[in-house]
Amino acid sequence: MAEGGPLSLRAEAAAARLPPLVVAAERVAATVMQGVHGRRRSGQGDSFWQFRPYLPGDDAARVDWRQSAKSDRLYLRETEWESAQTVALWRDAGPGMDWSGHPSRATKRARADLLLLALSSLLLRGGERVRLLGGGRGLSGRGALPALAMRLEGQSGPPADTALPRHARGVLFGDFLTPLPEIRAALAPLASAGLRATLVVLTDPAEETLPYGGRVRFEPLDGTDAALVPRVEGIRGLYEERLAAHRAGLSALAGSLGFRMLSHRTDHPPEAALMALWQALAPQGAR
Amino acid sequence: MTGALSFAAPWLLVALAVLPALWWLLRVTPPTPRTQSFPPARLLRDLPAVEETPARTPWWLLLLRLLAAALIILGLARPVWNAAQGDAVEQPLLIVVDDGWASAADWPDRMAAAGAALDAAARATRRVAILPTSPTVTGEPPRPTGWMPAEEARARLAALRPHPWAPDRPAALEALRNWRDGGRNGGSPSLYVSDGLAHGGDDGAALMAALADAGPLQVARGAPGTARVLLPPRAEADRLVLGLRRAPGGPAGEAAVLAMTPDGRTLGRATLPLAAGATEAEGSLELPVEIRNSVTQLALEGTSEGAPPGAAGVVLLDERFRRRPVGLLAAQEESADTPLTGSLYYLDRALSPFAEVRRGTLDVLLSRRLAVLVLADRPLAEGAETEAVTRFVEGGGLLLRFAGPRLAEKGDALLPVPLRAGERALGSALSWERPQTLAPFAEGSPFAGLTPPAEVTVSTQVLAEPVPRLAERSWARLSDGTPLVTFENRGQGRIVLFHVTANADWSNLPLSGLYIDMLRRIVALSSGVAGSEGEAPLAPVETLDGFGRLGAPPPVAGPIGAARLDSTTPGPRHPPGWYGTSGEGGERRALNLSARLPAPAPAAAPPSGARETRIGGVPAERDLGPWLLAAALVLLAADLLLSLQSRGLGLRARAALLALAILVPGLAQAQGAPEGSAALATRLAYVVTGDTATDEVSRQGLAGLSEYVNRRTAANLAEPVALRPGVDDLSLYPLLLWVVLPDAAAPDARAVDALNAFMRNGGIILFDTRNEGSGEGVSLGADAALRRLTSRLQVPPLAPLPDDHVLKRAFYLLPELPGRYAGGPVWIARDTDRANDSVSPVIIGGHDWASAWAVDARGSNPYAVIPGGARQRTLAYRFGVNLVIYALTGNYKGDQVHVPAILERLGN
Repeated sequence: MAEGGPLSLRAEAAAARLPPLVVAAERVAATVMQGVHGRRRSGQGDSFWQFRPYLPGDDAARVDWRQSAKSDRLYLRETEWESAQTVALWRDAGPGMDWSGHPSRATKRARADLLLLALSSLLLRGGERVRLLGGGRGLSGRGALPALAMRLEGQSGPPADTALPRHARGVLFGDFLTPLPEIRAALAPLASAGLRATLVVLTDPAEETLPYGGRVRFEPLDGTDAALVPRVEGIRGLYEERLAAHRAGLSALAGSLGFRMLSHRTDHPPEAALMALWQALAPQGAR
Repeated sequence: MTGALSFAAPWLLVALAVLPALWWLLRVTPPTPRTQSFPPARLLRDLPAVEETPARTPWWLLLLRLLAAALIILGLARPVWNAAQGDAVEQPLLIVVDDGWASAADWPDRMAAAGAALDAAARATRRVAILPTSPTVTGEPPRPTGWMPAEEARARLAALRPHPWAPDRPAALEALRNWRDGGRNGGSPSLYVSDGLAHGGDDGAALMAALADAGPLQVARGAPGTARVLLPPRAEADRLVLGLRRAPGGPAGEAAVLAMTPDGRTLGRATLPLAAGATEAEGSLELPVEIRNSVTQLALEGTSEGAPPGAAGVVLLDERFRRRPVGLLAAQEESADTPLTGSLYYLDRALSPFAEVRRGTLDVLLSRRLAVLVLADRPLAEGAETEAVTRFVEGGGLLLRFAGPRLAEKGDALLPVPLRAGERALGSALSWERPQTLAPFAEGSPFAGLTPPAEVTVSTQVLAEPVPRLAERSWARLSDGTPLVTFENRGQGRIVLFHVTANADWSNLPLSGLYIDMLRRIVALSSGVAGSEGEAPLAPVETLDGFGRLGAPPPVAGPIGAARLDSTTPGPRHPPGWYGTSGEGGERRALNLSARLPAPAPAAAPPSGARETRIGGVPAERDLGPWLLAAALVLLAADLLLSLQSRGLGLRARAALLALAILVPGLAQAQGAPEGSAALATRLAYVVTGDTATDEVSRQGLAGLSEYVNRRTAANLAEPVALRPGVDDLSLYPLLLWVVLPDAAAPDARAVDALNAFMRNGGIILFDTRNEGSGEGVSLGADAALRRLTSRLQVPPLAPLPDDHVLKRAFYLLPELPGRYAGGPVWIARDTDRANDSVSPVIIGGHDWASAWAVDARGSNPYAVIPGGARQRTLAYRFGVNLVIYALTGNYKGDQVHVPAILERLGN
């Protein structure tokens, strides 16, 4: 992608790349849909839910005459309950996300994009509204997915949104490797705005196992100082301890903000993470 | 001087002093870390050192690198093992080389000695001039080259060849003086590679003195007695008496002489014992009379394998090419040819298959030259007749007489033994005696080896007077001891008498096959008649080169008058060899170098102050520089591998593979074709010689040939492959090209087994010795290498390629089989070999076909054909096509020969 080109060209190039991503997201979402269904409650909506006998007090206009003509009783046609809720989505676009420990694995960012769009696809099918944090108005309807993908391409900022609806749900994808105070500073305003968010922590396996050896100079991708390790084999255990401590701190931080936290490794299938996410988003006590 | 190590650029060794500094530098510098991008690098910062890491390079790696650096320095200093010691002066060097006949035997050693001096001169950047001492091939007197860089002189030196004539040292001295006077060619050190013999009364003292006057002189000589002269043999009844001469001082040993036919087969071998210091040796070559005349050449076997005999070690025998006309004369000409009873009836029939039989009166017969005059019971009249025949005998003729009633009545003067008057009848009605059988032939008789059949009996004979030494004059006797065949030498000729008649009247000997054999041997004993006499010029047909090999005569070789042949001293105008008319049946006379050579006498001792060295046995110079640099490269590659490993790269395996690919390019190349693919297409193959350039030529040649064959014929050949017999499977290839290099090693047992199986199952090997040309086409030792290579292979008996062989008509009709060179013989298995349907498993030649076929990457032919022309190239390709077709179809195409006969039968 030519960074310096005219906007229309860049948008077009991005769009050319989108459909496969969208299709992949749809495919992942379809797999999850097989096992999970809608609200299963009657309510305001478009799709048919059930016929129920007419009760005194019901509006005569709601009688389904075609069904009622089949017998002596009157029936009302009820549609499924729908309550469109806005789900705010965000994924980290920092330089550290564009990394993969092995050429055969997707980068963390690619995996985050895929999960985000697949989740959006699920939500849009369910009739929810989807918006990106700091990304304008919410979208709904099946055709919104490509537009969302387009918008996602341009999204790169930190998680902040001034026009967040009250009691919205949120999903934040990222590796969350920055120091904990920075994470807290970024997330606290969201929590105070009433967002009930789920953090999806994406990890490359190499980041967990540190599969290197010898004398290595480790360079973070965000331009900060590199770390020279004379002998990697010797510090592997220590690194794992530090990583676990960071995770624990992140988990405590999420808990204190009222957020949930999910972990996902890029060498695992995305469907597993999507299923977990979907379950986490389902309203409590819905079944 | 043996085993010495010296440096061509010793000042570079100063750099070795830098090594300690390098050691210090390497020791304090840790290996460069590998850089790895890693998002959670923050977590790795400020880690406490949990393990003492090697901040310094480990000692063994250090040692490795220091060793590599030292090897590079040593290699650049160009160490030379066994360097020839040059004079430590900057003056140019004059190399004088004796290139006469006496230098041929140890010519490679002479070239090595001169080459070593050239190498030394090249290192000192001295200039060099070369002066040969023999007249050139064009008959010009020797002339020194100008001063030139040693590298150029090397080419001049390589072009020198020993000549089949004696050096002309006075002429060389004259040329040297003129040269020195003619300008800046003043004094200089000189090296004289001398053959150690005096030639034509000049022992080289004057030349050496002149050289020593001009500067320091080094004289290099071969071992005494190396040059040997094989004298023309003396013919005796059943053997050739051989003589050998050499200069005094030679070691004890023995010399072997081979009797060879025109097609190169060896019919006999004789050894001549040589005592230490002896100058002459004698021996005899036992050869049955009937095959002696098929011997055309006697050659000294080289002292070492492959050493040439030299022109003086080859004697050409022209007996075979002489005619032996036989004149028949009977007492009664009119009844002489009466079947079964005529006196000449049996003689004529016995002699005419192998001799030219003439008839006529005595005057007519003697008016032309005769080898044998046969008189069947014909007495000679006193006076003119007897005188004429006596002149014939004393001039070298052989008079063969048969007894009979007339001779029994009255003898004459021209009889080997005096005869008793009257015949002796055995087994008649009035005799007690019975017909006698023949006694076995005594040793020393020309009939020795023949077995008289028991049914041959003699009933009547003439008896010799008992004279002294009658037994010595008898070649054959009856079983009671009376002589049957007697002889006497008279003058240069010989008289032979059969004591029976020439027909079956007195005995049944003329009815037996023994009669023919006896006549044949007697005729073979006669001295042949050289056809042309007098001043008729004899043109050179084939001449010997300095190594004693027959070849086309040089351009300036001229004809010799027949009468002067025996008095001609071989020289550039008249090189030794065959003179006469070419072609089958043409008469030839031999001009032998050794016939006119005096006994070899040693040359004068070098003048005082000259350094004398011995050629040969000097170990070759060995430039060690490239080897040291290669070793350093290997060490550095190992170092690279180790440092990659110490950085813990996942690339470890890949780096090892890379290193392998660098270190073992040959292995990688050999594995080019995947297993099994060879069977999918027909392809030509060549045997890997180990010399990269040669193998590349073979590959290009076979590729070019394959392309040509694909274009012209229905055969479809894939890319050629390189093979190692014994390692690769040969069974997939119809044809194997094997270029024979002079230094080729004999194949090992597995390769021999594989090649024998290959030939047994119908494979064809084309051996190319690449030595049939001049200049680049001279490959000394290739023939010896070929013998070495094939010594354990089951090569069938060979013969030169006949004109009507399938190989010449398998696809194209070819008059000859040229390659890069042309004109040499091509050998194949003799046709009698019925194995594999008469298809020859080997084809041997020296035409360097691969170079003629070669096509380079741009599609052009990189090697010029010699003598040249598009026609030769085309013929070379056509030979290749025929060869491929021959390899693919065998002698199937041989049936084409019969097509005219078949058509005739069908049509009529």
